[in-house]
Amino acid sequence: MVTSRELLSRLVDEKKLTYCENCGMCTASCPLARAIPEIYNPRVLLQRVIFDLDELIKSEEFWLCAWCYRCTERCPQGIQPTEIFLLTRNFAVEKGHVPNNPKAIMREIIRSGRSIPVFEDFDDWREDYGLPPIGPTISKEALEEQRKIMGEEFLRRLQG
Amino acid sequence: MSLDYLLYPGCVASVRELGYEISMRRVFEALDIGLKKSNDFNCCMPACLVHSFDYKRGLALTSRNLCIAGEFDMPLLTLCSSCFGNLSRAKYLLDTNDDLRRDVNDILGEVGREYKSGVRVEQVITALYKDYTVKKLKRMIGSPLKKVKAAPFYGCHIFLPGRYTKFDDSEFPKNLDSLIRVTGAESVDYHEKTSCCIGCGSFFGELSEKASVILAETILESASKVSADCIITTCPFCIMQLEMGQIRLKTEKGVDYRMPVMHYVDLLGLSMGLSAKELGLDIRRSDMNPFLSKIN
Repeated sequence: MVTSRELLSRLVDEKKLTYCENCGMCTASCPLARAIPEIYNPRVLLQRVIFDLDELIKSEEFWLCAWCYRCTERCPQGIQPTEIFLLTRNFAVEKGHVPNNPKAIMREIIRSGRSIPVFEDFDDWREDYGLPPIGPTISKEALEEQRKIMGEEFLRRLQG
Repeated sequence: MSLDYLLYPGCVASVRELGYEISMRRVFEALDIGLKKSNDFNCCMPACLVHSFDYKRGLALTSRNLCIAGEFDMPLLTLCSSCFGNLSRAKYLLDTNDDLRRDVNDILGEVGREYKSGVRVEQVITALYKDYTVKKLKRMIGSPLKKVKAAPFYGCHIFLPGRYTKFDDSEFPKNLDSLIRVTGAESVDYHEKTSCCIGCGSFFGELSEKASVILAETILESASKVSADCIITTCPFCIMQLEMGQIRLKTEKGVDYRMPVMHYVDLLGLSMGLSAKELGLDIRRSDMNPFLSKIN
């Protein structure tokens, strides 16, 4: 099992995580913390990345960040919470903790090359408005290349 | 010299916000800006989603689009701020981190591609502001919108974080205000000008929806308080979130803000004398008629 310490060694050098002074600038800047403060608090999440990683990755709240980058822009210590959350989610995925919604959208991207599905006659509709066709999926060649870049391990993480 | 871009359509604009795509294409045509098409692109691969599954492969998937753009002798133009944010982020990370670029290029090498720096990424708003310029736009205004009070809504990925996007001040942005004033409309100041619609977090279901409706209400309330006639966004995702938010607020709380939410190109098109129908304003979720009768 990869310990919190091992993950941190991956994050710390680049993202300066242990420089965190716990000042709360991230939380004060966060739109999610403003809307649902009882559920989402990036300052606490960052502390948990350091001290409570194995439990943190089992929670779904931790997936809510909409990567607006306000915290990253304002952090007085130059920590990049947004990028840290992305990397920490990688760790959660490695351990098999993936909420259902992200998984479903990932499957759509693999199927059609888009994160929003397009229904069958959609191009007829676009044509009515004088817009060029976009096709039910991205081109076959692009889909194939996309699959190759993702690789076996990436696709395996979406199963189950 | 004519302006030409390689169009990166993205999914929100070309699937969910056709009205905006119609408007954008019509306005760019009227400004004589060329849009070139490529069939090779894949999804911009939202960092908060795809890069969460595999940071480096996610980056490789996003930068595959930059490799394709590199084959053309023109900048990439996105319709959506989220695509702009993803592509600008990939570009910044690969251009500033040799180790990361090497790893990502190893992955891209598996499909015979290589990322080379030098691709310029623009979004509709950045292209109008930086490339077309406010000065030249002024000459195109045939029907200034003197009576309109417009509330600018910047969204996030057009200017945050500053080091990725390199567009506007990251605390006190002003470029959208300047663009709005070109149309003859007043750009009103209000508290939620630089707030967030949480569109990019909408992948995560009920909780993010709940949060986005709470913020939508705050934003709409704030714009209403300063008697704005409309909210003007830089991004189709913000249009979708603020309009869907209004529909939910109406059905769930009985509060009807009747606030038209439009993209900047809609306002620009109207001030250039294009008709509401030409700009696809007849197929929006909001009823645009009260707003349109005010400007006529």
